Amino acid sequence: MERTAAKGVLSHLCLLEVQARSRRNQTQQQQQSRVKELKAQLEALIVRKERLKAEIQAHKELQKLRLSMDKQNAPEEDENMDDDSENSTLLRTMARHTQLKDLLYAHHLIGGYDIIRIRQGKGVCVSITTAYEAIYLDTYNLEINLKPKVRINRHNIPPFIPLNVLAEQTNVERDINGFLDTVTQHLNAFAGRKQQLKLVKHKSVEVMESNVLCSILVLLFTVPREKTAVLCTLEYNDHTRCLPTRVLFESEDKQLPDSPQWKKNCNLLMETPVHRALLIMRKAGNIV
Amino acid sequence: MDVSTKCLLQRLIRRIPSHMLKTTLDQWSRLTAAQIQSVDFTESKRTLTEKLLAICEENECSVSQIAELEMIHMIENPNVGMWYAFQLLEPQDDACTLELIQFKEQFKSHLHQLLRSVSIKIKRHTDDAVWIRIAWGDGISRPNHLKPTYVVHYLQTSYVFVTSVTSKLKPLLSQALVLSTKHHGIKDANLSGRNLMAIRDLLMNQYQQVFPSKYPSLLAEENQTVSNPRIEKEQAQMAADRHKMACEAFGDGTLPQLQSAVYKLETKFKDPTNKTMTDREGTFKCVVKFASTNILESLRHCASSGIASIPVAPLLSSVTLKARNRFVITDSDPGPSSQIHQAQNNLTTDS
Repeated sequence: MERTAAKGVLSHLCLLEVQARSRRNQTQQQQQSRVKELKAQLEALIVRKERLKAEIQAHKELQKLRLSMDKQNAPEEDENMDDDSENSTLLRTMARHTQLKDLLYAHHLIGGYDIIRIRQGKGVCVSITTAYEAIYLDTYNLEINLKPKVRINRHNIPPFIPLNVLAEQTNVERDINGFLDTVTQHLNAFAGRKQQLKLVKHKSVEVMESNVLCSILVLLFTVPREKTAVLCTLEYNDHTRCLPTRVLFESEDKQLPDSPQWKKNCNLLMETPVHRALLIMRKAGNIV
Repeated sequence: MDVSTKCLLQRLIRRIPSHMLKTTLDQWSRLTAAQIQSVDFTESKRTLTEKLLAICEENECSVSQIAELEMIHMIENPNVGMWYAFQLLEPQDDACTLELIQFKEQFKSHLHQLLRSVSIKIKRHTDDAVWIRIAWGDGISRPNHLKPTYVVHYLQTSYVFVTSVTSKLKPLLSQALVLSTKHHGIKDANLSGRNLMAIRDLLMNQYQQVFPSKYPSLLAEENQTVSNPRIEKEQAQMAADRHKMACEAFGDGTLPQLQSAVYKLETKFKDPTNKTMTDREGTFKCVVKFASTNILESLRHCASSGIASIPVAPLLSSVTLKARNRFVITDSDPGPSSQIHQAQNNLTTDS
C-alpha cells in the first residue's frame, strides 16, 4: 500500500516535472512562431508602404502633367518629365485618360448625349437628354448595333420622330455622330414645343387644337373691350425648331388681322416662344 | 322616338354602370339640370332605365344624340371588347401637316362615297386622340347603331386602333382611312388586346423601358427595402442580374396589359426520338398561345424568377420589342433555328 502510494506520488511528481519542462519548450516554440508571424507582417507592411509611396508619387506627377496639358492643351509637351521614357509615356497616357473622362463628364453635365458600350463592344446605348429653358425634361435612349451592320435595335423614342428616315438621310452607317446630332435636335425641339404647350395650358388660354407631335397649335383669344374672338393658328413645320413657321389669325372682325397691332403680334409670335408672347400680349392689353 | 331608337337607348343605359351614369349624362348635356335632378341614381337599373327613357322621349332625342351618348361612354370606358392595331404605310409629303378639320372632312366624304348609308361621328379627345364612331348600313337599310365600329387615331402617328369590323366592311374602312390620312397603304400591326391604352402605350413606346446607363438615376438607391438584416439571400447577385435583364426585355414598373401572345408555327418537326413525326413530309402546323390577365408581367416574372432562361429568348422579347402579339414562325433553310416572319395584310391604293 505504501509502496504504491509512494510510487504514485513520485510518479506523479515526475509527470508534473515532465509537463513543466515541455510547457517551457512549448512557450518558447510559441514565442518563436509568434515572432516569425510578426516579422512577416512587418515585411508585408513595408512592401505596402513602398507601393503607396510609389502611387502617391505617380499621382503627383500625373497632376503636374494634367496641369501642363490643360494649360497648353498640347499632349506632346514633355518638358516636365525627367523620368525614364517608359514611365513618362505611361503617365502621359494616364493623364490623357483622366482628361478624356473629365471631358465626357462635362459633356454629360451640359446635357449632351452619353454613350456606353453594351454586348462586349458590339453595340452602344446612347442616352439623349432633352432640356428647354434650363430645365431638364425627358431622357430618351437608343440601342444601336455596330457589328455586323449599323442598325437601331430598341429605343424609347416616340414613333412620330421618324428615326429610320433620319438614319437614311444622315447616312448613319458612315457618320453616326451626324445621325445622333440630328436626332438630338429633333428630340430637343419636340421637348421644347411640348413644354411650351404645357406652359400655355397653364396660362388659362383656350387650346382649340394640338397634336402629339406638337406641330400644330390653335388658340382662342378674346380681345378685351369688344370681346371679339380671334383664332390663332401656329404651324411648326420645321421639326428641328421650337418656333413656329407660320402664324395665322382669323376673326369675325375682318379688319383685325390686318391692323398694325395684330401684325406686330404676328411677328411677336414668330420670334418669341408662345408662352412668353402671350404674357407680352396680355400686358399690352391685346388679349384677355 | 321609334322602336329601334328606344331599344338602343335601353341597351346603352343597361350597359353603363350606375356609378358612372350621372357623370356621363352630365357630359352629354342633352338633359336639363332639372331633369337630371329628378332622377334618383341609387335606384335599381330597371327603374332608372324607365325614367331615363321617359325623359328622353320628352326631349325627343334623336338616334344621333343617343349615338353621341354611347360615344362619350365609350371614350371614358374603352376597355370593352377587343381592339386591333393597324399601321399606316408610306406617308405622303403633306401627311405631317394634316389638320383635324381637314381629316374629318376627308374621312367623312371618302366613306360616304364608298358606302351610301353610314353614320359617322368624329370627336377629338383631350389627349389629342381622334375618336370615330361608324354605324354601318348596306345600300337599302338604315345604319345599324347596335353594332358600331370605333376607330381611334392619333394624327401625325401612323397607328390606328379599331374595334370589331366585319371582313366585308374592313376594306372600305381601310380605304377611307388611307386616303384621309394621306398615306399609301395600311397593314395589320398584329397587336390586339382588350385594353386600348395598353396597346397604345406599347406601340408609342410610352411604357417604362430600362436601358443600361453610365449614370444610374438617384431613385435607384431609394429602392433598398429594409428587410430583416438577419436574413441573407444566397445568390442575391444572380437574382439581381436576372431581374435587370428581365426588366430590360419587358420594361419596368407597371406594364401595359396584354391578354395573350400567339405563335403560329409552320416549321418542320424535329425530334430525333420520334421517327414517325420527323419523317412526315410538309410543315408541322401548330399554334402556341400564352394567355394571362397581364401577359407581359407574367413573362417578366418568368424571366426574373428563372423559369425562362436568361438572356430572354428573342421570341418572348419580341412582344415588347416589335410591339406585336401575333407571330408566324417559319423555318429558314438551312439550319435548325427558326425565323420570325411577319404575316402581312397589305391593302394598297392605286393613287
